[in-house]
This record gives sequence, C-alpha cells and structure tokens, in this order.
Amino acid sequence: MISRVAEHCFWLARYLERAENTARILEVNHTLLLDFHVPVEHQWKPLLIISGVHDYPHEPTAENVQQHLTWEADNPVSIASSLWWARENARIIREVISGEMWERMNFYHLWMQTGGGRLAYDTNRTDFYAQVRRINQLLHGIADATMSHGEAWEFFKLGTYLERASQTARTMDVKYHTLLPKLEDVGSPIDNAHWVAILMSCSGYEPFHKKPRLMPIDPGAAVAEFLIYDEQFPRSIRRCLWECESATASAAGNAAGRTPTEAERKITELIAYLDARGIADVIREGLHETLTHVVDSVHAIGHSIHTTFFNPPTRMTQTQTMGGMTQSQG
Amino acid sequence: MPTVGIEPRLPIRASNRGPAEPPRLFDGYSPHPSAWDELFTRDVAPHPHCDALVDRLGGLHLTEFQAKRANADLAFVNQGITFSVYSDQRGVEKIFPFDLIPRTIPAGEWNVLEAGLIQRVQALNLFLHDVYHDQRILKEGLIPTELVLGSKGYRKEMIGFTPPGGVYVHICGTDLIRDTNGQFLVLEDNGRTPSGVSYVLENRAVMKRVFPQLFHDIRVKRVEDYPRRLREALASVAPFGADAPPCVVVLSPGQYNSAYFEHSFLARHMGVELVFGPDLFVDNDVVYLKTTRGPQRVDVIYRRLDDDFLDPEAFRPDSLLGVPGLFRAYRAGNVTLANAVGTGVCDDKAVYPYTEDMVRFYLSEEPLLRNVPTHICDRREDCEFTLANLDKLVVKAVNESGGYGMLMGPFSTAAVRAEFAEKVRGNPRNYVAQPVVTLSTCPTWTDEGVAPRHVDLRPYIITGCDTWVLPGGLTRTALVKGSLVVNSSQGGGSKDTWVLE
Repeated sequence: MISRVAEHCFWLARYLERAENTARILEVNHTLLLDFHVPVEHQWKPLLIISGVHDYPHEPTAENVQQHLTWEADNPVSIASSLWWARENARIIREVISGEMWERMNFYHLWMQTGGGRLAYDTNRTDFYAQVRRINQLLHGIADATMSHGEAWEFFKLGTYLERASQTARTMDVKYHTLLPKLEDVGSPIDNAHWVAILMSCSGYEPFHKKPRLMPIDPGAAVAEFLIYDEQFPRSIRRCLWECESATASAAGNAAGRTPTEAERKITELIAYLDARGIADVIREGLHETLTHVVDSVHAIGHSIHTTFFNPPTRMTQTQTMGGMTQSQG
Repeated sequence: MPTVGIEPRLPIRASNRGPAEPPRLFDGYSPHPSAWDELFTRDVAPHPHCDALVDRLGGLHLTEFQAKRANADLAFVNQGITFSVYSDQRGVEKIFPFDLIPRTIPAGEWNVLEAGLIQRVQALNLFLHDVYHDQRILKEGLIPTELVLGSKGYRKEMIGFTPPGGVYVHICGTDLIRDTNGQFLVLEDNGRTPSGVSYVLENRAVMKRVFPQLFHDIRVKRVEDYPRRLREALASVAPFGADAPPCVVVLSPGQYNSAYFEHSFLARHMGVELVFGPDLFVDNDVVYLKTTRGPQRVDVIYRRLDDDFLDPEAFRPDSLLGVPGLFRAYRAGNVTLANAVGTGVCDDKAVYPYTEDMVRFYLSEEPLLRNVPTHICDRREDCEFTLANLDKLVVKAVNESGGYGMLMGPFSTAAVRAEFAEKVRGNPRNYVAQPVVTLSTCPTWTDEGVAPRHVDLRPYIITGCDTWVLPGGLTRTALVKGSLVVNSSQGGGSKDTWVLE
C-alpha cells in the first residue's frame, strides 16, 4: 500500500488509543481516589508527568488538570487534540477505511467540536470519560467487522499496540511519581489503592484477580508483573509487543526466510530485554528505570517503522539523470 | 411589477381543503415573472413530465418536508460531505447547501442534449489535437492564430505530442443554462479539472434515503455508473505496454484542497489509490508509487491538479504539489494524464465563441447545442460595443472560473462599471461580454417557503475509447432571490437532477 496511507492508518490508531487511555486514567483518578485523602498535588500532578506535560504553568488542581488533559487544544496529548488528529488522519484516508468507520469517527468529532461532549463533561464527568473510552472500542469493532484484514488493517493494529505498550508503561510509572506520605505507607491502604487505580486505568482489575495465583506477598510486585509480563492480558507490555511483532511481520509480507526489517529487529530486541529479566530483577533495578527503557524503546521502534515503511528510498537505480530534461518542440 | 407582454399568473391555490388543513409544499408558489420554470408552465400547472413529481411532493405538508430537510442535512454533516473554507488555521468544513426539490429533464430533451454534448466534446478533442499539430483551423483562418497561441491555457510543450488514444479532454464539465424560452445554451466548457460530480452522486444517495417512495413511483435514469465508467475510460487510454489491468490513481493536491472530499470519493468509488504528489516519483522516465513494499509502476493518473503545478521541472518550479519529472515521463509515453496537459485553451472564454465553428469544421455537422452570443473584446468593434453597453452585459475575464472576475452589468453601480471599463481597456484580450440571460428557475426551499431560484446544469462527459454522458449532471442553484450566480464559492447550492426514462 501507499507509504503515506500506511502512516495515516498507523497514526489514526495511535491517536484513538491515546484518547482512550487518557480518558481511562482521568476516569479512575476522578472516581477511585475520592475515597483516599491524598494531597491534591500527589493526586493530579503525576497524570501531567506521565502524559509528558512537564511545564504546566498552573496549579495542578483536579479541575485544571482535567481541563488540560481533556480539552486543551494546545496540548498535543489532550483527548480533544487526539480525537481531532485521529479524525484528520481518517479524513485523509477515508477512501481506505470503511465508510461506516468514517461516519462514526466523524460523528464523535462533531460531538466533541459542537457542544455535545462539553455538555456531557460538565454534567456527568464519569459518563463523559466512559463515552470517550467507547469511541476507540466502537471504532475497533467497526474496523474489525467492516474493513478488509489486509495491510491497512495491520498498520492499524500496529499503531494500536505500539501506543498501548507505551501507555501501559506510562500509567505504571505514575506510581513512581506519586510520592507516598511516609515510608511506612508502603503496603498500606493508600499504597494498595494506588496499585488498584493503576490496574483499573489499564482495565486490568478483573483479569488480574481472575488469574489463579498464590496470595502475593507483595501486591505491588504482582500488579507490576501482570502489567508487564502477562501473556494473555491485551494491555500487558509483553503482549502488546508480541502483537506489534506479528503485525510488522505481516506488513512486511511474511515471506519465509526473508531478512527481518529494522522495525521488527527493534521490537524483538525489546521483548528480549524484558524476557531476560524477571519481575524481581525489574524491581531490584528499579521499576521506573525499566519503564523508562520501555517508553524510550517504543519511541525508537516508532522511528524504525517510519524509515522502514513510511519513508522508503525513491530511486530505482543510481543512474537517474537529474535536470537533463530535453523536450523536442516538434 | 412586470408590465407589458407578461401574462399575469395566479399562485397555486389550496383547493378543496378544509380551513384546518395545514399548508402543503407548493401552496402559494409563484413562479418568476419572466424565467422559464423547470417544474411549472406559465399557468402554474406542472409541465406534463413533472406531473407525478409535483403530485407526490406537493402532497407533503410543510412540517413533513421540514423533517425531511433536517434528515438530509444531518446525513451530509455526519458523512462529512463537505468542502473547506479557510477562515482559520484548522479550516472550517461546510456542507454544500442541498435543496430537496429535484430538477427534471424529460427523456426526449435529454437525448438531444446528450447527442449535442458528445458532438461538442469530440470537436474539442479534435481542435486540441489540431492546435498542437497541423493547426489547420488557424491556417484556414477560422480562428485568429494569436487568440489560440496566445491563450494562457496553450502549452507549447505539447506541440507535436499525441496523448495515448488521441484523447485530450477525458472528463469535461460543460455548463448549460436555459433561457426564457426554455432553450438550452452552452455557457462554458470546463476541460481542465471540472469538479462537482461527487455531489451528483451524493445528492442522489441522500434523495433515495429521504424519498425512497418517489423512486418507486417515478423512473429516473441512474447516475451511479459514473465511477465505473470513469475507471473504464481511464484504463482504456493507458499507455501502450501497460500491465493489464493498468495501475490507475487519482492525484490530489492534498487534504487541504477545498475539493478533497471529491478526490477521495472518486478514488473510493473507482477502487483506485488516492495519491498526493510526494507519493509519486519518476525514475528513468517511468512514474512510480512509493509503497510499503517498494515502488509500484503507475500507468494512468487522473490528476486534479492544474498544469502549472504538475511538475516543477517543466512548469512552475515552486510547486510542492507536483512530481518532478512527470512531464518527461508523459512525453516519453510512459504514463497517461487525464485530462491531458494544455486543454486550458478550450476553457478560454475568448476561444469559446468559436466552438460552434469547430463542430462544423472538424465534424462537418451542424452543432446541436448553441452558445450564448458572445462579444470578444479583442475585436475592436466588439470591445467598443461592450464598453458602450456595460450596464446591459455580463463581462467575464477569460481565464477565471467560479464566478470570479465577473461584472454583472445590470446589477452593478456606475462606479464599479467605470472601474471595470478601465480593466477592459487595459487588456481587451482578457475579456468577453454576453447579454444577460435570465436563467431558468426551479422551485426551491427558502426562508419564505418554496420560491423560484435560478439554476444551471453541468453535465459530465467522459471520453476514453468512446464518449459517455452522465445522465443529468449537477444542478447548481442560486440561493439568493434574483441572483443569477450559482457558483458554490459564491454561496450557491445544488439539487438532484432527474433525467426521466
């Protein structure tokens, strides 16, 4: 497929995933932590940090942070920006995605832009976040059911899982930035509530508890292990990377015995890095350091995908003569 | 009020209905005093071919009609069938106002139009071949040589080159109007990159959704074949030696172009790739598409990009939209461009007055379609006549479109006319003048209920191995009372066009 079109498919999926994820963390933070008397700066500021907003000029109050991460047009990761760019990517390739996908995407774009979304946000915050979450879910369902599962689909999948791997890592990293009031709070109800919040932000609360395991000595480590290593949970980092690996291989043609592309090598490398460690090693080396490595590697993988698929060389031969144009004027 | 020569007309009256009956769609409709009405005769009875339509639509209560309008508008908004207006950084998307009351053309009349359009496009293609080869029509003195060779649309780079199949104008949009006697006239030919056909298809789709029963009761010619016909025509003029099937693409200037929706629409419905200039590259005079699995050869490009921007090596060097080397590949015969380069010469409004002569000259036939009488300001006596009658004429710049660069004499002020006269004197070659034709009207929904509004008609003519005309075309309608300007860029709307079987 056309390289540029593949790139739009990839980014359409990434922006949709990002909007969903931002809605998830805001939703959880908004509802769950209401029960715990965490100082405000500990509750909302970490969300700015994991979203990559390091220079927020205002007081990080609940309203300010939610406004910034939901509506701020100048914030490239806000829900409004993400959905705007998702729709813009969809608009550019509307002849590639299915008509039904486009119509829904456009419907929610209008909902965000012409007041419906704002009204929901002002009247029922939790419903609003749930609705935003469903946009991505709905579009994935429509895509799955109405789009050919060809190359465009593989790039859509690749974008989804790559963004998700990064988002899961960022969400877990919230723990690093949320300082506990006192050292002895480790393992306390507040500490546990944080881990529950992280699980819920990744939609992993139920899958985590359904997984048969011994009573963990350290609930934090168990959650971290689940979110990094679980083989079945569709938001665990390892599972996401596996999906990226297979989508990249399909996009590259899947021929037996071919040389893997740079993008595939980078993904395999990151999986190997995680596989070489267990959760105990990760915690000993520092969870934050491992997560930082994941986020940086995902960034590098994105770069390789770009050079491999989206910006390929444009010369058939080396013999092209530039500027040597001769026109017979007959 | 109208005076002599115009018969008084009675508005349609609600007949035999009780006082409590809510008003219906055509109640009180009062046609334009002098224009030809597309649905009603001079005595406010439907034209015979409009009987069924007026009966069905006229049965609707205003509230029912309003509900259908809201339904149709919503369909356009939700599907993002829009064009862009750039008033801020992010661009505003607007829907092209759509009127639910269709414009109808009876079968017999359409057959004549269709034959006339085919004849005209054949003559234009022969004319283009001639002016880039032997120039017989110039040598025989039928058209002044300077007029053609000096035209902005004339590309000397095309001299001696014959595009595959000998076709220059693959897609033509010819604007027709109807005068007060109901006679169709050609207003202009658009042989470069005529737009609007996607609205014809979308308008029909929305009409079918909103009024399914109407299409059961009344037999209307299909328009849905257009994308398939276009794809077949494009494939039929692929360069010699191209793969079967050839690789056809639509080349768009990009997502910020106001007609981007249409480019995307056509690619989607033809089942071909939509590409931007940077998606293509030329190597060894062959055009390739950049794909995720390496370069793919391209055979036919339906380009929605003006000549100027096609290839920075051959034309405007500052063009970022085009493909360096494309014109070289074209002249080498390795790729087909539709439309061909250099067709702008037949869009030139100063060349237009000679199209009837072209039909006689190349085809030895009498033209079936007539032009609007035109004064070419390049001729001294025409120029003097024009300047003396500015208040009665429409004066047009020869290379403008979209209703720009135009003076509507009778509706202008003396100051504006004086200013325009200066422009005409400064560059007479750039202007032509025509009498004001009172365009036909069609009942249209307005803030004051259903009222007559002026319309024109743009049929689309596709030429590959043979020539095919899309039944009907785009009916554009002025939405402002009395306005004769129907262009979308000037706030016009559109209607579904029904060619009856």
